[in-house]
Amino acid sequence: MNPNDSDASRFTSAATDRRGERDLDDLLVHVARGDQAAFEALYDRMVGPVYGVIRRVLRDPSQSEEVAQEVLLEVWRTAARFDPAMGGAATWVTTIAHRRAIDRIRSTTAAAEREHRTVDVSPPHDEVAEAVEASLDRERVRRCLDALTDVQRESITLAYYGGHSYRQVAELLHVTLGAIKTRIRDGLIRMRDCLGVS
Amino acid sequence: MRFFRQDLHTLAGAYALDALDPGAELTRFTRHLQRCQSCASEVRGFREVATAMAFAATTEAPAEMRDRVMTAVAHTRQLPPEIRTHARPRQARTRGPWVPWLSGAIATAAIAVAVFFGFAQAHTQHQLNQARAQNQTLTVLQAHIQAELDAARAHDQALAAILSAPNAQFLSERTTAGGVAGVVLDAATRKLIVATAGLPGLPAGKVYQLWLIGPVKITSAGLLPPAKAGQTAPVVATGIVKGDKLGLTVEPAPGSKQPTTTPILALPLPV
Repeated sequence: MNPNDSDASRFTSAATDRRGERDLDDLLVHVARGDQAAFEALYDRMVGPVYGVIRRVLRDPSQSEEVAQEVLLEVWRTAARFDPAMGGAATWVTTIAHRRAIDRIRSTTAAAEREHRTVDVSPPHDEVAEAVEASLDRERVRRCLDALTDVQRESITLAYYGGHSYRQVAELLHVTLGAIKTRIRDGLIRMRDCLGVS
Repeated sequence: MRFFRQDLHTLAGAYALDALDPGAELTRFTRHLQRCQSCASEVRGFREVATAMAFAATTEAPAEMRDRVMTAVAHTRQLPPEIRTHARPRQARTRGPWVPWLSGAIATAAIAVAVFFGFAQAHTQHQLNQARAQNQTLTVLQAHIQAELDAARAHDQALAAILSAPNAQFLSERTTAGGVAGVVLDAATRKLIVATAGLPGLPAGKVYQLWLIGPVKITSAGLLPPAKAGQTAPVVATGIVKGDKLGLTVEPAPGSKQPTTTPILALPLPV
């Protein structure tokens, strides 16, 4: 298939094209039919972002590992429920990962531990050696985050990477609830345009 | 109202980042999302932004994790695809109006059927059978029914026997005219109970008639009683033979010897 057609242009960056959105969708369809080899391929493509986003939210390596395992198993178990109309496979998988991380911090024990941890709102930074495409994604996201206003950037990173509810974000930034909702939404609209997402 | 909606709309960003607290607001927005095309497409776009942020956070996972996940996968059964129905789950809760005019055993049966409608509308028949197998609620319900049925009056006993049969199957089907027919089938005694919800109202002089439609002959299985609050009370049909389907037609009162209109339901009966 021609990589330059409309589907590929949904995500304009070279990094994303290399990631192969369409391929991932296809892999997930095979996973849904019980194809373990397809699952292994999907795992290798998605484990970095899955573990990464969970780690950003939870911080604790062993908890993160536990949740990442649950998420990947859930992907296997529920692959047949994937609905391409709701977005691509990468989005489906990372959405599950982020939600499960949030579920985990909302469970009471984790919430207690979390009180003691500092909040890191900086854009993602290199912790370990990463694949080239990951650093391209990182660069691109960092550039787009940098283009936001301070409040937009902080509210988006506090919510997504920090795993805070928008009410908590409002509290942390001393901004009204109404303003936070708007900042998050406006910021995401700018990010969407900057990243070239449809 | 307009302000209210716009206010909901601004939650699209927080929703896409999983930053809504569970509770009324999340429920309200999720419901809104099903009706609001533009919100849904906005959320899709925002989720792609979130996806890019997840990829940007890519971190090398512990190598041992892969083996553990693959071992778990080899031992984990996958869920079947979700078959989307156009059911209206809210209707399932309307069981109140049935109860007052029913005797004890029938009331219990009606509640059983109402509970089962809840399942019927949310699941396909296949999933329903699966759900039933594991469903403790129904097991408890059956035990409860059993206890109540010991005291049942004589003319309630046909119903009682079917509902308390150990292998009773719960089936359901939407009719082509709208509404749902729910069936509790006891293959061992070749009897069934049928109740309906949401069938269209009929003009005077017309009735709903049930049929057992077999490969060689069609026999009447009686009339549906008049609907109360959109639902018909359970009726019993007996003498089901292999290959029969449960049919439903609209007939001139007081019913016909053979169907005179196209069935709005033809539900295969596994006996």
